[in-house]
Amino acid sequence: MSHLLHFAEHTLQEVALLIMAIVYTTRLIWLMRFKAGKERQANTGKGDTSSRKGIIYSWANIAMPWAMESSRKKFFLYSQFVIFHLGVVAAIGLSFIIPYAPQLLGSQVLVAVLQVIIGAACLIGAYRIIRRIASNYMRAISSPDDYFSLVLLTVWFFFAFWSVPNNTSGGETILLIYFFMTAFFLIYVPFSKISHYLYYPFTRYYLGKTLGKRGVYPVRRYSEEARS
Amino acid sequence: MNSTRSHKAQKVLERMGKKLNRQIVGSFAACVHCGMCTDSCHYVLANPGDPTYAPAYKADKIRKLFKRHFDWTGRVIPWWVNAKSVYTDEELEELKDTVFGKCTNCRRCSINCPMGVDFATFNRMARGLLVSVGIMPEGVAVVSKDQWEIGNQMGVLKEDYIDTLEWLSEELVDEFGDPRAAIPIDKKNADIVYSINPREVKYDPRTISDAAKIFYLAGANWTMPSEGWDMTNFGLFSGDDDLGGAVARRLYEKVEELGGKKLVISECGHGYRSTRCEGQNWAQYDLNFEMESSVTTMLRYIHEGRIKVDKSSNTDPVTFHDSCNNARSCGLTEEPRELLNLVAEEFREMYPNRAENFCCTGGGGAMSMSEYTPRRLKSAKIKADQLAATGAKYVVTSCHNCVDGLSDLIKHYKLGMKVTQLVNLVAEALVVPEKETAVPVEEIPAAAAGPLDGYKILVVDDEPDFVSFASAILEDHGASVVNAFNGNEALEVARRESPDLITLDITMPGKDGKQVFESMRKDPQLKAIPVCIITGQPELRKLIYDRSVPPPNGYIDKPISEESLMRNVRKILEIKQKATK
Ligand code: SF4
Ligand code: SF4
Repeated sequence: MSHLLHFAEHTLQEVALLIMAIVYTTRLIWLMRFKAGKERQANTGKGDTSSRKGIIYSWANIAMPWAMESSRKKFFLYSQFVIFHLGVVAAIGLSFIIPYAPQLLGSQVLVAVLQVIIGAACLIGAYRIIRRIASNYMRAISSPDDYFSLVLLTVWFFFAFWSVPNNTSGGETILLIYFFMTAFFLIYVPFSKISHYLYYPFTRYYLGKTLGKRGVYPVRRYSEEARS
Repeated sequence: MNSTRSHKAQKVLERMGKKLNRQIVGSFAACVHCGMCTDSCHYVLANPGDPTYAPAYKADKIRKLFKRHFDWTGRVIPWWVNAKSVYTDEELEELKDTVFGKCTNCRRCSINCPMGVDFATFNRMARGLLVSVGIMPEGVAVVSKDQWEIGNQMGVLKEDYIDTLEWLSEELVDEFGDPRAAIPIDKKNADIVYSINPREVKYDPRTISDAAKIFYLAGANWTMPSEGWDMTNFGLFSGDDDLGGAVARRLYEKVEELGGKKLVISECGHGYRSTRCEGQNWAQYDLNFEMESSVTTMLRYIHEGRIKVDKSSNTDPVTFHDSCNNARSCGLTEEPRELLNLVAEEFREMYPNRAENFCCTGGGGAMSMSEYTPRRLKSAKIKADQLAATGAKYVVTSCHNCVDGLSDLIKHYKLGMKVTQLVNLVAEALVVPEKETAVPVEEIPAAAAGPLDGYKILVVDDEPDFVSFASAILEDHGASVVNAFNGNEALEVARRESPDLITLDITMPGKDGKQVFESMRKDPQLKAIPVCIITGQPELRKLIYDRSVPPPNGYIDKPISEESLMRNVRKILEIKQKATK
């Protein structure tokens, strides 16, 4: 292993993680400085719901594609969302496995699983780029950051896919690109829309709290099929 | 840059900083522009291919300000995240068009966003910011002013309100032959203080008397306040928390002053949400009494056996429309259905329903913003299709705003359905116990008695069918009727015949009803003659009420029924009689 690759796998990642942690913490402090709105009213609704139930339901919402009309009706988009995010988890995980537990990649099964997930995420990324450019609805709501973040992740998936076997016999270029991109990704994330997962627990917490208190969450749904 | 910013733009930005809370900041920051919410909005569905109606697009019009001024990336590299400031009043006007004219704050996109972005909440905030610098649709300004100054959003004067309650009381006492059937006003320490929507006083007094019948037959210890009776709150629509707080406080303080134990809120989505939920937050007021929707009260009375109902009184198929505020912001979805199943023989669910139901398109104050009427009616196609698919004859809703919104779209899309409320169906289905049945002193059928004997009424309308229909009803009840088919003729006949009452259409060729009305009010010979406006365009009401002359004495929306025409005519003539005594 070259010094450069060793640097990229270790020092560079650690510095990038540190920067990300500092920026994230600052971001959280910034968010917490805004006062949370107080709710004085007594619960409404059927009486069998509460803020707590609403919060749990709200957090779990993302894992319940049937819970929202949007994910029910756009199940293809929802499935893409799941695979894409699994791809992010796998590609990030890879950046820890390679430097700290490379022996795990001796398992052909793990290599195959990671490659399938990351490969699928890469294809979905490509599809999402096309969708964002081709749909006038998506174009209308897209900023340069939206395009860049998507392209960044898709290209990163591409190099992560080829890095999974952690094989330097054909040269280190792929691994170097993957680790440099990972570091860039970690530093860039807090400044971009990719930081949404930082806000996700908060937005869903507050929406769940309000709608739980008012008996809206969990949503009662009686589908067309249930018509008697 | 600051030096080139208009005073209003500067104020909007300064006030935005004060309005931000953690929930709103989270919603601003969390959007990933995934587009999942796009199809949840009725405006998008009714305007295919136009991305300017997409919730995220509309949200970005507000979000760009947040990003430019409060979010670090937007402050450092604004173009990268589409962060932009606002500089001119024209830009604020454009924002007004979006936040008031392209969104009813229905919250349907909010519950369809995987990230939990609550666009409706920050859209309301943006409305409030614009209102704070005087940028708003004219209707919003007028209604807000009435609610600030007169205490209710339709400018109903105290004497008209009390007059209406007294007139309804007389009818109830007559009907039941029991003085206890009268509506108690300002009764101390009642179990229930009943609050209503001013629309009920102005256009739909039957809902008040129906509720009164239910309270009477249930043996309720109830009252209606002489002041602070308006449970609606335009602050919810205008985004003005100060107005919201002041209106809610007025109501809460009155209940406390009367020593009421429970505030019951008549069927109104935004009224229920404002009074039951948001009002306490706006007013920063902690209550020492309970509150509930009249739907819950009626249902409880049936469960407790305090009133008996017979669903065979309502045989036509009915469907139920969930008001957005009731369903998506207050969870009031099951009680109305349970009640409906008890009082109507055939309830047909509409799809989607409950929290996923579509907006009536009249929400968010849209009915008061006549400049957006064509846009509203176009977006109403989604609701119209939903209604038509049920095949029901009646659409029931627990919201006065929805009654207006639905009536308008039913007319526009020629659905031939009628809109009603649960209170009307419950009253219709009431089984009146023998001992409570009044034996009228003189049993004279209303028509035979000729209650309009001796009255001369001028019916003005350019539709001959309508003129014949209304004239026949009035003549059947004993009136002598004269007609006019356009504005000039109306003035001429009115001067010649000196009628006791004029029913006047607003839209007519030539001199239209608005001009005729103003001319009449300014004419010394005609100004004392009561006028009842009858129109198929309720959105034009404002044009009449905004005139600098005394308002009309009554108002009826087409299509009219014999019952609604007679109730209004009698009311106006009785009032006239009292005034001339
Ligand atoms: S508001 Fe929610 S659903 Fe709509 S684009 Fe933003 S993140 Fe996606
Ligand atoms: S709140 Fe309702 S009207 Fe407004 S954008 Fe969302 S879905 Fe559309």
